[in-house]
Amino acid sequence: MSVEYQPKVIGFLCNWCSYAGADMAGTSRMGYPQNIRIIRVPCSGRVDPLFVVKCFQRGADGVLVSGCHPGDCHYTEGNYHTRRRFALLREFLDYLGIAKERLRVEWISASEGQRFAELVSDFTAELARLGPRSKI
Amino acid sequence: MNLFASKDDLIRWLDSLLQERTVIAPVRVQEQTVFQPISKVEEIAFDFDNTTLSPKGWFLPPTETLFSVQGDDGQVELVPTLVEQDAILFGLHPCDAKGIALMDKPFLQEPGDALYRERRSRTALVGLACGQVQPECFCTSMGSAPDDPSNVDILLTEVEDGYIVQAVTEKGKALLPKGLAEYKGKVPTPPELQAVPAKEVISAMRELFNDPYWEQLADRCLHCNICAYVCPTCYCFDMRDYADKGKVERVRSWESCQSPGFSLTAGGYDPRTTKGERLRQRFYHKFLYFPEQFQDVACVGCGRCVRDCPVNIDIREVISNLQQVMEAKSGS
Amino acid sequence: MELIQQIRDKARKLLEEGAVEGVIGYERASDGVTSRPLFAYDPSATERLIFDETCAHNLVKYLLDKKGKKMAVVVKPCDSRAINLLLNERQIERDKVFIIGVGCPGMVETSWNHKSETLQAKCRSCQLFKPLVYDFLAGGEIERQAEEETYSDITEAETESVATRREFWLEQFGRCIRCYACRQVCPGCYCPVCFAERLEPLWVGIRIAPEENELWQTIRTFHLAGRCIGCNECERVCPVGIPLSLLNRKLEKDVKELFAFQAGLDPEEQPPFATFKKEEKLEFGE
Repeated sequence: MSVEYQPKVIGFLCNWCSYAGADMAGTSRMGYPQNIRIIRVPCSGRVDPLFVVKCFQRGADGVLVSGCHPGDCHYTEGNYHTRRRFALLREFLDYLGIAKERLRVEWISASEGQRFAELVSDFTAELARLGPRSKI
Repeated sequence: MNLFASKDDLIRWLDSLLQERTVIAPVRVQEQTVFQPISKVEEIAFDFDNTTLSPKGWFLPPTETLFSVQGDDGQVELVPTLVEQDAILFGLHPCDAKGIALMDKPFLQEPGDALYRERRSRTALVGLACGQVQPECFCTSMGSAPDDPSNVDILLTEVEDGYIVQAVTEKGKALLPKGLAEYKGKVPTPPELQAVPAKEVISAMRELFNDPYWEQLADRCLHCNICAYVCPTCYCFDMRDYADKGKVERVRSWESCQSPGFSLTAGGYDPRTTKGERLRQRFYHKFLYFPEQFQDVACVGCGRCVRDCPVNIDIREVISNLQQVMEAKSGS
Repeated sequence: MELIQQIRDKARKLLEEGAVEGVIGYERASDGVTSRPLFAYDPSATERLIFDETCAHNLVKYLLDKKGKKMAVVVKPCDSRAINLLLNERQIERDKVFIIGVGCPGMVETSWNHKSETLQAKCRSCQLFKPLVYDFLAGGEIERQAEEETYSDITEAETESVATRREFWLEQFGRCIRCYACRQVCPGCYCPVCFAERLEPLWVGIRIAPEENELWQTIRTFHLAGRCIGCNECERVCPVGIPLSLLNRKLEKDVKELFAFQAGLDPEEQPPFATFKKEEKLEFGE
């Protein structure tokens, strides 16, 4: 009997938009895969690339970083920095052999519960297709 | 009695050893030669100056788990790290063999380091005498020589068509293959090395602890760990417990006194905050503290630190400078 | 010799006049072939100063050990980018540094006791013929051929599969012994407590193993994104030969493409990660 591969996904969700959006998915009883473990941060700009690389080192198959839509950041400009940082990090990780599909950066607002659920399903399915990340 | 082995004899012998033992030998990796366990005798690089890192890493690995503690349902189990197989450390030069002999002094003195002791007793040392020396070598000034057999179980010396095989210990004798003929030819003269007079270095050390020489020398030191890590006799380490999912591992890794923060104590006091104090420590350990404790200078003259220091802090220069400073001070 | 005499004369004058407390330059190393840093505090020591194609060391880092003291430093064009970086990040004060600039013919590959005829890769594509900032220029501007930086080794690696790259970097990081020479020599690495030394929270720890080494190398490189000035000292000092320029130049190339930015060209520049644009399309931006 084979055990189906279940990707481990870590999600960094900003408190004001994305986390609230995920909450909304929950309260509206929209199902989404349980593969994701959510870490709440005040702003997507709080997410240090170090956290993401550490997640991969510790066995994550995929990492999601989600914040408010650019222009709507609760702290005005946090997500502009996120955008720059992660554009570069995705490229760099891919270059190092961590497929860029494994790092997703999304903008999800507090009212986009449906979108959050769909995103997690989509991401999990894609990661299942990619297979486990070969840990060192 | 000296025996002779052709290159083929040697390869056959190593092949047979490889069946039952781990063989660690010099291997060419990306333009460098390193000691590592081999799976085939063909991997061995017989021709090399000296390896990047010394073979001390076999007895004191850069990282090792000393033991782990697993907890399950209230049951706690201590899982020691086991040394699996007997081993042969092949191809080390006499300087590196002396390095291991020096490390034996702190690591095997009672009560002894269990893992080091286990590996040490289960590893035979097959040395390779040096047919040529590098400009940075100075083993003869540090109590060794290119053909010094004193710290190996078997010493090989390359001659035309093969190797002179000298069994130095009973352990070595027992390992040799049967049927090797006696070597009746000439034993090659070992190459000449430059001398680094070091007779007065220990007494110079006693007097020069507070000399401004150290801060001046340390100006260009980067305080990386290169010198300590490539050195056959540096053995400082750090230890930490790592807890993860019901298991705790005690991990030991290389560290060096050169690192800023190495001597930082809980509470915030650091006895070596300046660059000069840190740089001085390494030389003092080698040329005063270790000799006072173990009656031998903790440098084997392999020259690796001279070769690899990015800013050319040259231990030979330090040895001679210290003696010069002493002479100047004493007005003689 | 003319160039070297100018450096020596200037250094001696600065020390004799008390204009600086010390001069950081180059002298011949103990192998008689390569060079090493020299700290001259006495005018007579300036006679030991040299400058030739073995003087690859970036001496700017040492200014951070001498904060508060007025020092002179011999600076090549690539090193001058480090000066601009440290000025930009407010780590050194302009009036505390006397910059003895030299036009640079390019540095050759060296190792202990060995000087090759091959120019270092970073020098082959260097477009700077004199330092970007200096107080005195020894020898004048140098005329030489410079190739264009095409990042061809990076783009070639980018065409390979993710799995091939994974295997390559796994092997490279496996050889790292965490001597931290790359960090210690780098002018951009000056954190009082490096993230790798932190115990609370613990990021890297003390284990010297491929996993931890990868984390160390990846994040150190990323901390230099938009800051690395391309002196390549990290790769030169690595005792186990890890091709660190393949990491730093990848980020240098991407930062150039994404943000049209290069570090160390202007001490008043706005680094790309300290600023932002409200409207920009960065692959997943809106």
